[in-house]
Amino acid sequence: MAGKRLDLAGATAFVALMVVFPLVFDSRYLIGVLTVSAIYGIWAVSWDFMSGLTGRENFGHSLFIGVGAYTAGFLNTLLGVSGWWNLPAAMAVAVIFALVIGLPTLRLKGPYFALAMLSGAVIMQRLVLIFWEQTGGEEGINGIEPLIRSQLGFYYFVLGVLVAITVLLLALARSHWGLVLRAIRGDEATCQAAGLNVTFYKIASLAISAACAGAGGAIYAHYQLQVSPQLFAVVTSITIITMVYVGGMASIYGPVGGAILLVLLTELLRNFGEWRLMIYSCTLILILFFLPHGLIAPTWQRFRSRFGRRP
Amino acid sequence: MKRMAVLATAVGVIGIWASPGAAQQAKPIRIGVPTAMQLQVGRDTQDALKIAIDEVNAKGGVLGRRLEMVVADETENPETGISAIKKLTADDKVDVLIGGYTSGVTLAQLPHISTAKTIYLGVGAASPSITAKVKQDYDNYKYIFRVGPLNAAHQARQVTTFISGFVKGELGFGKIAIVGENAKWVQDLVPLLKKGATEAGADVRVTEFFDTQTSDFSPLFAKVKDSGAQYMVVILSHASSDVFAKQWYDSRFPMPYGGIDVKSMDGDFCDRVGGKSVGEMAANFAVRAPLTPKTVPFFDEFKKRTGRSPVYTAFGAYDAVHIYAEAVTRAKTIEAGAVIKELEKTSYVGIPGMIEFDDMHDVKAGGKGPSLLFAQWQDKCERQVVFPKELRTADFVSPAWLKK
Amino acid sequence: MLEILIHGAVSSAIYAMLAVGFTLIFGVARVLNLAHGSFYALGAYGAYVLTTQLKVPLFPAALLAVALVALFGVVVERVLVRPMRGSQLAVLMITLAVALVVEQALFLTFGSEYRNVPAFVDEKFTIGGVDVGGQRLLALGVGAASVGTLWLFIQRTRLGSAILAISQDPVAAGYMGIPSDRIFSIVMAISAGLAAAAGVLAGPFLSVQPTMWLLPIVKAFAIVVVGGLGSIPGSILAAMMLGYAETIVGYLISTSWTEIVSVFATLLMLVVRPAGFFGRRAAF
Repeated sequence: MAGKRLDLAGATAFVALMVVFPLVFDSRYLIGVLTVSAIYGIWAVSWDFMSGLTGRENFGHSLFIGVGAYTAGFLNTLLGVSGWWNLPAAMAVAVIFALVIGLPTLRLKGPYFALAMLSGAVIMQRLVLIFWEQTGGEEGINGIEPLIRSQLGFYYFVLGVLVAITVLLLALARSHWGLVLRAIRGDEATCQAAGLNVTFYKIASLAISAACAGAGGAIYAHYQLQVSPQLFAVVTSITIITMVYVGGMASIYGPVGGAILLVLLTELLRNFGEWRLMIYSCTLILILFFLPHGLIAPTWQRFRSRFGRRP
Repeated sequence: MKRMAVLATAVGVIGIWASPGAAQQAKPIRIGVPTAMQLQVGRDTQDALKIAIDEVNAKGGVLGRRLEMVVADETENPETGISAIKKLTADDKVDVLIGGYTSGVTLAQLPHISTAKTIYLGVGAASPSITAKVKQDYDNYKYIFRVGPLNAAHQARQVTTFISGFVKGELGFGKIAIVGENAKWVQDLVPLLKKGATEAGADVRVTEFFDTQTSDFSPLFAKVKDSGAQYMVVILSHASSDVFAKQWYDSRFPMPYGGIDVKSMDGDFCDRVGGKSVGEMAANFAVRAPLTPKTVPFFDEFKKRTGRSPVYTAFGAYDAVHIYAEAVTRAKTIEAGAVIKELEKTSYVGIPGMIEFDDMHDVKAGGKGPSLLFAQWQDKCERQVVFPKELRTADFVSPAWLKK
Repeated sequence: MLEILIHGAVSSAIYAMLAVGFTLIFGVARVLNLAHGSFYALGAYGAYVLTTQLKVPLFPAALLAVALVALFGVVVERVLVRPMRGSQLAVLMITLAVALVVEQALFLTFGSEYRNVPAFVDEKFTIGGVDVGGQRLLALGVGAASVGTLWLFIQRTRLGSAILAISQDPVAAGYMGIPSDRIFSIVMAISAGLAAAAGVLAGPFLSVQPTMWLLPIVKAFAIVVVGGLGSIPGSILAAMMLGYAETIVGYLISTSWTEIVSVFATLLMLVVRPAGFFGRRAAF
């Protein structure tokens, strides 16, 4: 019981910190970095929900991000639809893509599934480049309207969405749903034999994951005010997986910390000029080597067990 | 008592007299440089800026203030580019931005530059869409200027002149192939090129686009060969020009090639491909020739400081600093609105030519302004200007295996 | 037609060199080595440094480059991969980080401009009316020979049998006294060496710049999965398929479509026959 209260206290403290941080430092730049990191957090959490729990690593998460972002981009620049409508639209489109690619591939496991999803994302990226006349090619779609004009306001909005999604997915993960997904990871055949509709759970979790990622993509489009094919890139998917890994796979809340940490790291290392990415990659190796279960979630678990049992 | 009073007054007088000097230790003017730091274009942008900044500071700075620069890596990724702009404007609080390379990144950065109300002098991106915004929405985008390079539309026109005046006109090759990388600026440019070439009487036998990542050009070469073309016009920027050159040479391709090849603008491109680009004609914005009184001294100073030959972003960067400095001096303030008005009146003798801006804040081409020089790699990797005729330093030399 | 045949063969040979090493290390150690592309890059850069800056003659430089990269592969395996072998994802992530570090190291040392690896064979050959660069034919020849030799090695020698045994059943192999750790290092060396050789051979006519590791590894990944993880003949077959598919699409349609066709073919393969051509391990 005390553990749960500690969790709640920790979460509240974290959110409070994130809320107060930009007020204390009052830097448009920092707010910008935190906003982008929060969006990455949304993507990382959504990935963890599906892939972390079921153990089916999805190497094509960027597909859902990209289609969500481009949907928002198209609707906004071609039809003038406001960002608020674009969010649900993006989620819907992402879910459709999840169904299209998920149905034939979710029976695959391990590297096979990973490659199939990766192929999906690469195909989409290629299509966007091939049909450059409609999509703007590698220049992408520019001139998207911001969702919220105030920098701080936008940040709080994204933070709110991140918290909401994390709470929702955590609740799902802790419920019967999460149990089934974890069971699928363990032994799918047994689950099937036990009468569980394994296919439904897999597809549904992919769809939920895609919806959140798509929403994040739409928010991204209305924040950066442009979308480009780089969103579909393999690099994007891998970055997100790295964030989940650093945060702690299958923890759902860990990836939030992973995302914020890694985005902050890439930005704060700017002072090293040309050496920025080298130092970042070396730091990554150190983290991956010495903390194979991630940084955020295990640390919190250790903290929790130390302090959680006080009467 | 009296001595104290005199001393005090003396100190006071000296203090008051010295304070304009103290005010002269004013804040330096900060130039923010968003550029692709890991690429050659980024390195040369920074080095050229340093040369220009040193020159301006040696003359006492601008309005008595020194210039200094802050660099931020924009890579070729729009996301990193946007955060670079935010860092420079919101965190480093720079007074002006000079830089740029990939058009996609610059386009992504525009709204954020506009929000920051900071002047931006582009030196590397060629997409006309960048400056188009100036006309579409002057109030928000008046901060954007392009000092270099010539935008893609200008380049298209000049390549058309190259085709009609040289490829067909002098070499007598009426049948051409147009080959370009699959980038948006190329796709915008090629139709203009095709139209202009056809109007000039050339027969465009085949037009092919290839993926920027392509590393095997054999299918492409086969198509071009089969088309019956006599000359291959290329439009390459991010693509693997080195591989293209090497494969052209290795297969002893039965026709010469030339056109826009950004990587071939590098002074040591030919050496880097082991001499295999000898015969290629590539467009350059400037070469070490007296295009203006500034050209040769700049090339020499750059070579002296870095040991390298400058790439095209260096010209824009160097000129941008001086253009900005002069505009600020004329405006007598660094307040953006006033400086913009002065920038619009710029008429500056730069490295590639006379720099003046049109109503979209884009550098004007032709006339006394910068224009493309078509230089050919010749024996021992020496580069000679072959077209336009007025600036010719050597005649065209056929690739070795094509000499009759 | 002949053009497609020859150029397709060259592409296939290079892909085969990359894929076979990749599938070998996966079959033996269950390691998805994302740094495999880095071995390819280091082979090319190694040849460049040895010939251009250290003035070592071409042939010894090539051998030395391959040997050094093989050694590097063993070091990476020992130091970074072995402790992580409990989790496939952990190995994947850490090899990815290695690839990033190598890329950055190349950027910082050599800059972003591509480098020139001198060709062994500079002349052009005309085969049946088709112009082919000599270096390409060499790549084809050496590629086919080395992959063929490897296959024979695995089939005929004791060490080869040990490798096969471990890939079929690591536990049983352990019972038989096969020193799996040593075998892993050997296999890693072979794998890295093959990739480096591909880099040395292809470097002269393909791009040599710091980001050259990414595309080959994505292709190798696709080839290996389509061929069946752990199967050398499968990888060879899939490499030929991909090489020819790309060449055919390039010649008949346009090079803009090559990538998408091959990726689509991969996806189709996974949906239709998930274990690949000869995959022994079930895909689901």
